[in-house]
Formats: sequence, C-alpha cells, structure tokens
Amino acid sequence: MNAQLLQLLFSLVAVAAMAGLCAALFGWRDATMPDAGAALGRDIPGFRPGRIAVSGDAKSALIENARDGAIYLAVMRGGDVVTRRLSREVRVSRAGERLTLDLRDFTLKRTRLDLADAAAWETRLKGSA
Amino acid sequence: MPFDPVTLATPAFVVLVIAEMLFVRFTGRGRFEAKDTLASLAMGLGSVVMGAAFAFIFIGFAKLIQPYALFHIGWSWGAAAACFVLDDLRYYLWHRASHRVRWLWADHVNHHSSQHYNLSTALRQPWGGFLALPGVLFVAPLILLGFPLTMIAFVHGLNLVYQFWIHTESIGRFPRWIESVMNTPSHHRVHHATNARYLDANYAGVFIVWDRMFGTFVEETQEDAPRYGIVGQIASFNPLRIALHGWVSLGSDLIRARSLREFAGYLLAPPGWSPDGSRETSDSIKARWADFEAAQTPAE
Repeated sequence: MNAQLLQLLFSLVAVAAMAGLCAALFGWRDATMPDAGAALGRDIPGFRPGRIAVSGDAKSALIENARDGAIYLAVMRGGDVVTRRLSREVRVSRAGERLTLDLRDFTLKRTRLDLADAAAWETRLKGSA
Repeated sequence: MPFDPVTLATPAFVVLVIAEMLFVRFTGRGRFEAKDTLASLAMGLGSVVMGAAFAFIFIGFAKLIQPYALFHIGWSWGAAAACFVLDDLRYYLWHRASHRVRWLWADHVNHHSSQHYNLSTALRQPWGGFLALPGVLFVAPLILLGFPLTMIAFVHGLNLVYQFWIHTESIGRFPRWIESVMNTPSHHRVHHATNARYLDANYAGVFIVWDRMFGTFVEETQEDAPRYGIVGQIASFNPLRIALHGWVSLGSDLIRARSLREFAGYLLAPPGWSPDGSRETSDSIKARWADFEAAQTPAE
C-alpha cells in the first residue's frame, strides 16, 4: 500500500480514537440554555437583559436588550451559546406556538422556537427588527 | 531538509492531546467538548491533505523568485538559527495581516472558530490557504535574502511545532523572564479571546518580543478571563461549513459590492468593514468598550 495512503489511514484512526475518548470523558449531548442574558452581557458592553423567552426544549431563546430594544437569538451549540442580533433580513414565520427564524447565515440557517407567547414575539420581530 | 519537524512531532501531538483530555477530566483545569474536538481534528487532517494538494503554488512561487536572491546562503546551523528568527518575524507580520485584511482572515478565521481552547484547537487549521494568495508574499524576503528553500520549510515546521503546546488552559504562567521573551499559553490565550480588551493582540509565533516591539502586546488579566472564539461565533461543528464560512461570507459581500471601492474595501479592509459602517470591526468594538469602561469609572 502507498505510504501516504497508510499515513492517512492511521491519521483517520487516531482522529476517531481521540474523538471517541473525548466523548467518553466529556459526553456528546448538547447542554440546555444557561443564563443567556449573562452570556450576552459579557460580550456586549452595556447590555441590559429585558424580556427573555426560552424555547420549550431549552436549546434556544430570544432576548431583548433593554438598553436599545434590540432582539438577540441565542442557541446552544454543544455546551456553548451562540448569539445573533436579529435584523430586518431575518424571515419570521409562525405555526401556532412554533416560531421559525430563517437567518441568512451560513452556519445558522434556521432556528425553531416553541414559545407560549410566539405570536407576540412574531409581531415584535416583524415590526421592530 | 534534515527532517520534517511537523511529521516527526505528530505522534507527540496525539499523545499530548490525550494527556490533556485526561488532565482536564480529573482536575477541571480547562474545557473539552467531543463535537468541538472532532471538528478541530478533522480540520487538522483536512488541512494537511489540502496543503499537500496545493503545495505546488508555494513551490512554484518560490522557484520563480529564487533566481533573484541577493545572496546564496548555504546550510549551517548558524544560518538556520538566523532563518528561524527572521521566519518568526515573517510569521508575526503574516499573522497580523491575517487578522486585519479580510481576504486573509477568510482563511485564518477557521483556526479561531472554536469556543474552546485546548491542544485540539491548535490542530484546527484552515483548508483554503491556496485561496489566500497574498499570504505567500510574506515569505518572499527570506527567499530573496538567499536562504535555501529547504531551510525555510524546516524552520517554518519548527515554528508550527512550537505553537502547538501553547494552546492550553492547563498551564498558567511561567516566570517573568520567560513570559517577557517567549510566546506562552497565557499570551496566546489573549490572542484567541473575544473579550474586547484582548481583540487583535499577541500575534507572535515563538517570540512575544515582536508584539512588545510593534505595540500589539496585551497582558492576560485575572479579572477578565478570556472567552474564546470569534466575535460572531459560528454555530456548526461540520468541518466543511467551518472551512467555508469565511469564504462564503466574503464571497457574498464581494458579489453585492456596488463599486470598485466597495469591492476593495470588502477584500482588503479589516473584517467587519462595510461601506455604510453598519457592521462592527474590532476597532469599533474596542472603542465602544473603552467608552463604556470610562463611563463606569467614577470621576476623581
């Protein structure tokens, strides 16, 4: 067998072994939403959490910055929070209590949130985003 | 070349990543996440494959300008030491440009795209170096000075090997005399941090003295523990999306450019630049943070 191919094969096995060990030691499942307002507060100078709506699965949330009225989306990725400031470019649709956000974002295209007050958030996002 | 330092060090990389995982699991000093680690390792493997596939671009460029070298420096350990130091300066300049020029950042952003900071993060390397063409220009001075190409490749490999071990939260700080001269885990944590005070700092490869000389050095503080990643964190562990997201973002802006000025701005200005100033650059984030900090500090 070609030496380079063998090297690639060994590398693939090593990567799989390291990822497997990491999963065994630290787990594989996504965490649930911690205090997303605090996460935004660390990243945005002057951020003051206003209204917060956490999705039923606790994997995503909408958070308002009480300082300027901007609305942020927070989603869990692994054990970390990823946030986006929602702009007019976001397409918002709703089916009952399920709110769907389509972002023009290569790594975060679509997010669904199950919210008790989904209609109110839909209105806010369509009106003031 | 006497040997390829990176190939030789690869088994040690594997052993050290595993050792750090166990250390973190049992001491809690650091953080790992399986999906993130798998993504980083896949990025590292892909980077090696892509690097080998497109090495002809660098080799072709080097062969093209080599006949114009001012001197013909032969192989000696003294010359290799000088080449190592100059290559580290080359690395500093290239690295700084990679954070300040969107074209280069589109590639380099991959290395910064993890919210974790451990030895696997060191292996999260980009796949599209062949698209970040201006990057090869930074090596031109070494070739034109007359250092052998094999020597340049050798010291570049040593530089990369050195940078592996500084990607860790498991090591605190070294004695002051080491921290003054060498790039260390503490200095490089600052470089990977998204905290406003740490943005665009500590570009060094091996010797932190370049940052101290050129005014880009920032000390790590205990009051503001580094948070890692990029200003707009990515939301994917898919290596293909990680590898492409910088290029897709740049490409969509270039397509939307309405003039040559806008096109050049998107390509060459710092990441976050936009024609109407509606986006944030690291400079604007730092300025806003400084204003906020000043407003929080009571007047004397």
